[in-house]
Amino acid sequence: MAVHTGRRVAVIAALSLILGAGSPRAADLKIGVVNPYSGPMALYGDEMTRGYDIAVEQANAAGGVLGRKIVIVRASATSAQEGIAAVEQLVGRDKVDLLSGTYITAISNAASEAALNNGKLYWETNALSRDLTDRGLPNFARSGPDSTAFARRSVEGVIQLVIPKLGKKPGDVKVWIEHEDSSFGQSIAMEQMRLLKEAGVPVSEGSHSARSIDLSDSILRAKNAAPDIWLSTGYVIDHNLLLRTMREQNFKPAATILVGTGDTPETLQALGKDALDGILLVSYPRADIGESYGPKAGAFLAAYKAKYDRDPIAPQAMSAYVGMKILLSALADAKSTEYEPVIAAAAKMDKPLGTYETGYGVKFDKTMQNVRALPIIAQWQDGQVRAVFPKEALAPGGTLIDLARK
Amino acid sequence: MATLDFANVLAVGILLGGVYALVSVGLNLIFGVIRVVNFAQGAFVMLGMYGTYAFTAVFHLDPYLALPIVVPALFLLGAVVQRLLITPLRTEPAMQIFATFGLLLLLENLVLAATRGTAFSVVSPLASASIGVAGVQLSAVRLIALVAATIVAVALGAFLKRSMLGRAIRAVAQDRAAARLMGINADRIYMLTFGLGAALAGLAGCLLTPIYSLSPEIGTSFILPAFAVVVMGGLGSVLGAYAGGFIVGLTEAFAGFYVDPSLKYAVLFAVFIAVLIVRPSGLFGQLGAEEVGLRAE
Repeated sequence: MAVHTGRRVAVIAALSLILGAGSPRAADLKIGVVNPYSGPMALYGDEMTRGYDIAVEQANAAGGVLGRKIVIVRASATSAQEGIAAVEQLVGRDKVDLLSGTYITAISNAASEAALNNGKLYWETNALSRDLTDRGLPNFARSGPDSTAFARRSVEGVIQLVIPKLGKKPGDVKVWIEHEDSSFGQSIAMEQMRLLKEAGVPVSEGSHSARSIDLSDSILRAKNAAPDIWLSTGYVIDHNLLLRTMREQNFKPAATILVGTGDTPETLQALGKDALDGILLVSYPRADIGESYGPKAGAFLAAYKAKYDRDPIAPQAMSAYVGMKILLSALADAKSTEYEPVIAAAAKMDKPLGTYETGYGVKFDKTMQNVRALPIIAQWQDGQVRAVFPKEALAPGGTLIDLARK
Repeated sequence: MATLDFANVLAVGILLGGVYALVSVGLNLIFGVIRVVNFAQGAFVMLGMYGTYAFTAVFHLDPYLALPIVVPALFLLGAVVQRLLITPLRTEPAMQIFATFGLLLLLENLVLAATRGTAFSVVSPLASASIGVAGVQLSAVRLIALVAATIVAVALGAFLKRSMLGRAIRAVAQDRAAARLMGINADRIYMLTFGLGAALAGLAGCLLTPIYSLSPEIGTSFILPAFAVVVMGGLGSVLGAYAGGFIVGLTEAFAGFYVDPSLKYAVLFAVFIAVLIVRPSGLFGQLGAEEVGLRAE
């Protein structure tokens, strides 16, 4: 019997060696990513995931995390309902360890609740609405800037960048706040209004539907108010139509600031470089920002170009990339993929501004919003988008050009 | 200042009315003859736009030069859709409406898959041109759309009233069986009419491309106001579609400027319901248009 057992052990050992299973291999660490991979937002869902892919490739080259190889598993969602279905599929069928995303706030909102129902972490890197963190979900954290950060940065731009450039004082300029009428536009506009009023800047406000066929009424109302600064939050399609209508109606405020979009080739194609020159953009930090602000941003740009053979389509990719890096650090600190230890580990992280390629640091507030994730202000300059604020973000040789549109 | 505001809003409303009239004439033609509420008309406008974009991307020519290609292509597509989708459902009018709605979603999603949602735009020197008349700004591309809508409405009215083919179309619209007895090939007339309606959508798409950044859903954005146009103007009436365009355009512009841009569709559809209550046949339609069919004026 002892002889038989010995033989059996020897056979199993030999088979194990042959099959390469001499030591138990750790299972892949699967991160389910929820984003729109079809529909009108697919361009940006894809772009964000390119950022995740680069971060994961680099982490795997350095040995993975928790001794496991990281694998991204995608699931497409173009609406809140699809977001829930995507999470069910990722958890039930693909057996992911945790979840991440998202380009759209509404999808993040639904998907993160579905993740909680399934006992999984939902790590948000991009969706903006402040409401997401205000819910206080125990499985949710956001590594990127929220709508409040965008509003604050845009108001900083008005007060510290534009008003001095116009040679005026805060009480002497008029600002028109235009916004699309979903929660994305409204949440940013309300905060902008509050902050500008606090600073003593006279403001007027107008809203529009992003799906409207005609926005001449919005432009005529703004033109009627004769603002010095036209500050608008919207999506790509409505911003393009607003800018075209401004041109048709010969509405040329001294400064135009777009929040959220307007910084992609889609807007360049719609308006042409001459019509865009001087427009300011409050957006995610770009890969060509100064390295003193975003260390190794150039290395990210090189990695992106090497992998995809072109420049990034939108700055969301680098913010997603950094968000994934912060997540992987939190996982390593937590030594777990369960949401409670990961959230606890993330809450303890304390990295100064300028730690990551985007210029982000890490410090989560009690709602698990990273308060050291800040957007920047860029400007259209001869068909290129250049970072102009804060001044540390300027690329070498970069400068602010005239704000008025031709 | 108040007078100038009024003049500016009036100009915006009239130009927008031209856009809506252009989109709605084909929709009303199809309804008047075939009695189908064609939801896919919005998708045909969208395809006209993407066709124009593809033309400019390949040939690097002005988008207006795409007209001779886009309009016939949409005519052919319309004729094929009528033959393969509408004809088999001839005895199921309700199903025809669902089928056109299905076609709208099918075409939207095919374009979505092909473009992955990129918001393409075309460049035309006219896109940035506008004319200032006594402080009122008039966009060149919108003026072109208005002129085109006027020519199309007049020409279509004359074609239906005076030409042999137009009379045949009206005959089929009024009484299919009697028209057949007169030797008219009703199936061919249906195919021709649906093709013509789709071609008009293609024309609208081509002329509107310099105004908009393209998205697959843009056709859906047009179709709801377009239904308001044809119902308020008068179902089945060419003149009704033209006039309805201006009613909708002016209502939208005045409500957007003087009430609130985010309330303009609420105001528009309140007016829409009021018109239906006061005059159910619309301004230029006649009661029971779904039975009587097309009117050339």
